[in-house]
Amino acid sequence: MLEIKNLHVSVEGEDTPILKGVNLKVNKGEIHAIMGPNGSGKSTLSKVVAGHPEYEITGGDILFNGESILELDPDERAHMGIFLAFQYPVEVPGVTNMTLLRESYNTIAASRGRDEMDPLEFEDYIREKIDMVEMNPEFLERSVNTGFSGGEKKRNEIFQMAVLQPQLSFLDETDSGLDIDALRVVSDGINKLHNENNCIVLVTHYQRLLNYIKPDFVHVMMGGKIVKSGDSTLALKLEENGYEWLEAYASTNGEEK
Amino acid sequence: MAAETLTENSILHNLASEVEQTGHKVLSAIRNESMLALNKNTFPTRKDEAWRFTDLRAITRNDFVLPANAGIKAVTNPSDYFLPEAKNSRLVFINGKFDAALSSVAELSAGVTVGNLSDHLDHPSVSANLNKLQNYDDDVFVPFNSLFFTDGAFIHLKKNAEEKAPIHILNLYTDSDNAFIAVPRVLAVIEEGARATIVEDHIGVGNNLYMTIPVSEFKLHESAHIHHARTIRDNINAVHMSRPIAYLAKNAEYHSYTITLGAKLSRNEPRVIQEAEEVDFTLDGLVLIDGEQIADTHSLMDHRFSFAKSHQLHKVVVNGAAHSIFNGKIFVRRDAQKIDSFQENRNLLLSRDGLVNTKPQLEIFADDVLCSHGATIGQLDPEEVFYLQSRGMTEEKAKEVLTYAYALETIENIEVESVHKLLIEEVKRYTKANSKAKIKA
Repeated sequence: MLEIKNLHVSVEGEDTPILKGVNLKVNKGEIHAIMGPNGSGKSTLSKVVAGHPEYEITGGDILFNGESILELDPDERAHMGIFLAFQYPVEVPGVTNMTLLRESYNTIAASRGRDEMDPLEFEDYIREKIDMVEMNPEFLERSVNTGFSGGEKKRNEIFQMAVLQPQLSFLDETDSGLDIDALRVVSDGINKLHNENNCIVLVTHYQRLLNYIKPDFVHVMMGGKIVKSGDSTLALKLEENGYEWLEAYASTNGEEK
Repeated sequence: MAAETLTENSILHNLASEVEQTGHKVLSAIRNESMLALNKNTFPTRKDEAWRFTDLRAITRNDFVLPANAGIKAVTNPSDYFLPEAKNSRLVFINGKFDAALSSVAELSAGVTVGNLSDHLDHPSVSANLNKLQNYDDDVFVPFNSLFFTDGAFIHLKKNAEEKAPIHILNLYTDSDNAFIAVPRVLAVIEEGARATIVEDHIGVGNNLYMTIPVSEFKLHESAHIHHARTIRDNINAVHMSRPIAYLAKNAEYHSYTITLGAKLSRNEPRVIQEAEEVDFTLDGLVLIDGEQIADTHSLMDHRFSFAKSHQLHKVVVNGAAHSIFNGKIFVRRDAQKIDSFQENRNLLLSRDGLVNTKPQLEIFADDVLCSHGATIGQLDPEEVFYLQSRGMTEEKAKEVLTYAYALETIENIEVESVHKLLIEEVKRYTKANSKAKIKA
């Protein structure tokens, strides 16, 4: 479904490379986890896949269902079924959650050949989804993320994912800022949303989330590239030993961390 | 040899000679003192500190006549601008002249008087207050209005009177053969404990050049309460120079919201003067401008006594080559302690050619006060645009939604539902027109 080939990325207008040759293949039905220390480039990778205009692709390619998406705007990528749960979800005062979601759902549905829903149908549909993340229905009528706590914002991201039903979801540090109960609820939601037709990439600093969501593959990013890949046991090893033991891998290609 | 500076007479000074005699002693006294004031004061130029950012060519490069000589066209569909909530509490002024047929005043609460000023010149509140509250030294626009107005809105509420229906002052400016000057006038005297909501609209129905110089005087006695919504929806070629002033006695509350969408050039100079302790007032503004529009707000909040609470949020969206100017004066006089004053001017600049000048001006002579103030100029946050795009909205739509959200905050405080709704539609129209223009560019 997603294939990232030798991806090189810099911040637009600056020379400092952030991603230095990332390769990643994610198939239908799989859950991947990308771990790594701060500043390793894992958040950048998620934003680049979603089409953030701040970054410039200096080399390589991103294929989604076999086609390059580099030239597509973020909304066109969303229409194809790519979703990013933000590390820092943005507050949008004056626009209710309900309005945003109906607008999003219908644009995406229209471009994917699904039927649009009228407000009543949509309300029924959305009620099921809100239960999944155990969010208070009052949040539907509140302005998007405005005045939400950190945990509520993260829940809201997963709620949006549930409503929009993307094919590929990048979840950027979704576990940060969640207490243990919220983490369980959010993880349950993600597990329920996962099926053989979609795929999920968890971007996380800590192993904690992986106690609740079992990834098929774990990748470690350091210094702008993936330095090690393995199965879920790799995450446990990282938890025990930290990232330092992998520094050797990061520098084997002659690049510093 | 130094040449003597000759001050050329302005159009306002030139037209002054055309003033007619009035039979009423109240008006004739006002005209006499206004003629003196006008002749004493000079028309502003960019050399005056208070006018250095304001391009007045929309006035100085044009010729204006009095409405009587302008070849005024009739107004079509005036009822389009009526408010359903004010069907029996509406005063209509066409180019500043009272229109009795379009106005409708009936079934008001006990103790409430709403009518044409020229019908109430003998009212004690008129002789006591009319033209006595205005406090704009050195100004030429107020004396010009005072020299020429005959009609105007008069609102009087007796002690503890409460008007439930909003009082609608509808100023319509019609098409004409020649550019004219209109002089709308308001006097509102609100006695102890009385309450009302006032909606003041200025709407240009044609595309002609005119200049309106609205002067409003508000006197709030002890514990009086006024909610005052003003919309500047003059047409895109018009000039709007307004001077609304309010005086607040002990425990009085005055909350004013000015929405500026129209006019080629607007200069709004709201002032609030505290006359006793423990008052609460608001002087909020929302400005949405585009093209070549210039919108200038020079406000004054004068805290003269202790225990005042004041709020001024002035939000601006600038697109095209439009120009916003804000100068917010806050005075806290000596001995005016325990003042809680908030002022913020936020500017959203959507285009490269737009221009914003902002100057909060605090002059505080008391030592136990809380005055927060700030001014920001920014663009839409790219992270916010990206967030909405990642949820499937086009860039155009995302920017529209965010601009709308930005502008909404001020409008939310407007209590009259039909006005609130109408302004939401106006904001939507502005943000839509806006994002379309951007796509074309």
